[in-house]
Amino acid sequence: MFITDIRKDFYEVVANQRVALLVASDIDALCACKILQALFHCDQIQYTLVPVTGWQDLGTAFLEHKEQFRYFVLINCGANVDLLEMLQPDDDSIFFICDTHRPVDVVNVYNDTQIKLLIKQDDDLGVPSYDDIFRDDDDEEGDDSGNESDEGSEPSGKRRRFDEQYLVLLILSTMTELMLMFHLFHRREILFDYEQYEYHGTSAAMMFFELAWVLTKDTKDMLWWAVIGLTDQWVHDKITHMKYVTDIATMQRHVSRHNHRNEDEENSLSIDCMRISFEYDLRLTLYQHWSLYESICNSCYTSCSFKLWTLNGQKKLQEFLADMGLPLKQVRQKFNSMDMSIKENLRDVIEESSNKYGMKDIRIQTFGVHFGFKNRFLASDMVHAAAALLESAEKDESNSDNFIKALDALSRSNLERLHSGIDLAKKKLMAVQQTVASCICTNLILSQGPFLYCYLMEGTPDVKLFSKPMALTLLCKYLLKAFVHSTRNKRCRLLPLIMAAPKDVDKGTVIVVGIPPESETSDKKNFFGRAFEKAAESTSSRTLHDHFDTSIIELKSEDRSKFLDALITLLS
Amino acid sequence: MQGILSIDMKKRRHDRLAFYASVKNFRTTISLKSYIHQGDLGPFNPGLPVDVPVWLALNLKQRQKCRIVPPEWMDVEKLEEMRELERKEDTFTPVPSPYYMELTKLLLNHASDNIPKADEIRTLVKDIWDTRIAKLRLSADSFISQQEAHAKLDNLTLMEINTIRSLLLDSLNCMFKLRSNLQPGSSKGQFMDY
Repeated sequence: MFITDIRKDFYEVVANQRVALLVASDIDALCACKILQALFHCDQIQYTLVPVTGWQDLGTAFLEHKEQFRYFVLINCGANVDLLEMLQPDDDSIFFICDTHRPVDVVNVYNDTQIKLLIKQDDDLGVPSYDDIFRDDDDEEGDDSGNESDEGSEPSGKRRRFDEQYLVLLILSTMTELMLMFHLFHRREILFDYEQYEYHGTSAAMMFFELAWVLTKDTKDMLWWAVIGLTDQWVHDKITHMKYVTDIATMQRHVSRHNHRNEDEENSLSIDCMRISFEYDLRLTLYQHWSLYESICNSCYTSCSFKLWTLNGQKKLQEFLADMGLPLKQVRQKFNSMDMSIKENLRDVIEESSNKYGMKDIRIQTFGVHFGFKNRFLASDMVHAAAALLESAEKDESNSDNFIKALDALSRSNLERLHSGIDLAKKKLMAVQQTVASCICTNLILSQGPFLYCYLMEGTPDVKLFSKPMALTLLCKYLLKAFVHSTRNKRCRLLPLIMAAPKDVDKGTVIVVGIPPESETSDKKNFFGRAFEKAAESTSSRTLHDHFDTSIIELKSEDRSKFLDALITLLS
Repeated sequence: MQGILSIDMKKRRHDRLAFYASVKNFRTTISLKSYIHQGDLGPFNPGLPVDVPVWLALNLKQRQKCRIVPPEWMDVEKLEEMRELERKEDTFTPVPSPYYMELTKLLLNHASDNIPKADEIRTLVKDIWDTRIAKLRLSADSFISQQEAHAKLDNLTLMEINTIRSLLLDSLNCMFKLRSNLQPGSSKGQFMDY
């Protein structure tokens, strides 16, 4: 069931209890976890933090902890499957689920006792009504008992009437059967429509920030984490542009409230205090921590608009820089070392020039933070750094180590970790761009009919990076954007993309990701989850649907071709 | 409940320090009365300022249950006056509080948003500290080189004493060793090691 009063029904319930936090591995979940941890520290609520990467992890974690804990909080996992059936908990376990995955499973919505959803009942949930899906068996019995009483009221009726009664009974029972069949069919159709497309809702970090606000315990740190959670959804293309802009407006209200709280003409705040400001900043990834040139080359938006994998594109870039009057020597330097005269009007200058080159949206609304003399970060910088740390492909580090490192990088006191994250993010972005360039230049993207397909061979450089779901999804989206810009075939531009990369060489598995087609007004709804399931069933391929996003699966390499053929037939 | 604070490596001899800052509580629902070493605390009523030990103040501040009111001496004009006075005099002037350095550090690290003009205060306190330490070094130097037997210094705080303690004691020990070797009657050329 949906929780209406988050303070009364969630926070006060867990206030004197020990809670198990099961947190998924994405940045939004990390930010939500940080906010919740800070709240728990304020009120000294005991908790255990368990990072989970997939459904199997979730099951194991639950089994380990079900003896000691009664209350479980699931962050960014658990809403889109029938949780009670999967975990088989005892009757007194209670689950609080704050998840951005949609659609929410109908059993989770209509269970009143054990599942509490920390999700706002927006208009876009579209949950089918109870009567459409769940049928009470009383109706059927009522009909029968009515018939019997009819029969019983005339015990010694004439034989003719008895025959009539019998006929009526027969007709009625056939009708009820037909109604039942119709109902089942209707129900299956409703559920199919409801569960066909997978998409994302409001950020979990924003939900928990609202909880903090209701408790009046919100601090600037928590506000910053909520902003990072929202920006993660935008960077990884999980929400539409409209939703992003609406949520930014909500956050902007909170930011102005915090900024007016302490600032005064006479009593200005210490420089070490955190200041969050609204920025209408450039869409160049990590440009303040890199050189401007590198950032332009490695940001998806600019790289695809200029088509920097072609010679022509490189020339256009040089023209663009010349048009703005930026000398190459300056532009290749670290951003902080550029001349002040250039840095001052940089944003406006770039916006003006990019309009001439067809890049209308080079600026995006976002937030930046500023504390101490040196430390300035944009929200997207933090997202990239934390994502790189979370999925770093070092051999000795387990998933939980990476999780803890990424979690630490979000605190203000761990700046070295954040900077190391930024370096890793730079390497990751460069790897993504090079892979995109090589895929397009060597025509690795094949049109299979209803979708585009690309397979990364084992020998590709940096292919280890792309064995992780978030990195592969990022690569997939950049590749599709680049492909749309480079192809002349108009039909191909509207196709979705499926990408496969080797995951585990020893076990011989590949990771397969599907993303919806690229368009300006895309609603980011992904149908590949169901499609993958059906294709796997029909070919009995050995697949593992472990990830919380159903559009990401693991597959044995030998079954790749038959799986793809099944998909083609399914989708065409 | 002991007020145990380990602030600085230099203060290894100070295991327990309890000093008081004025704390103003608001939006709290505590109305407890607690019995601790130095006496009772509370009851805490929302909106009314209460004097509590610093450790409790910082704990409550970190749990966002209170706002800290800085001590009266932590004010830009007063500190500027003290700094000027310190620079003029050759000897040590009276300090704002016997624990001024520790308090400044703690409060500015954890509660700088409640203290107006925190950066200037930090600079001023550092200036006062530097002046006093310079005077202390000068006087310790002259004490050792002129081989005085005893000295009297007023208005020193415990933390400043700690900075000079090991240096002074070790150098005086060395001096003693050297002096006792130079006296006639002791075996020449033998340097006694401890």
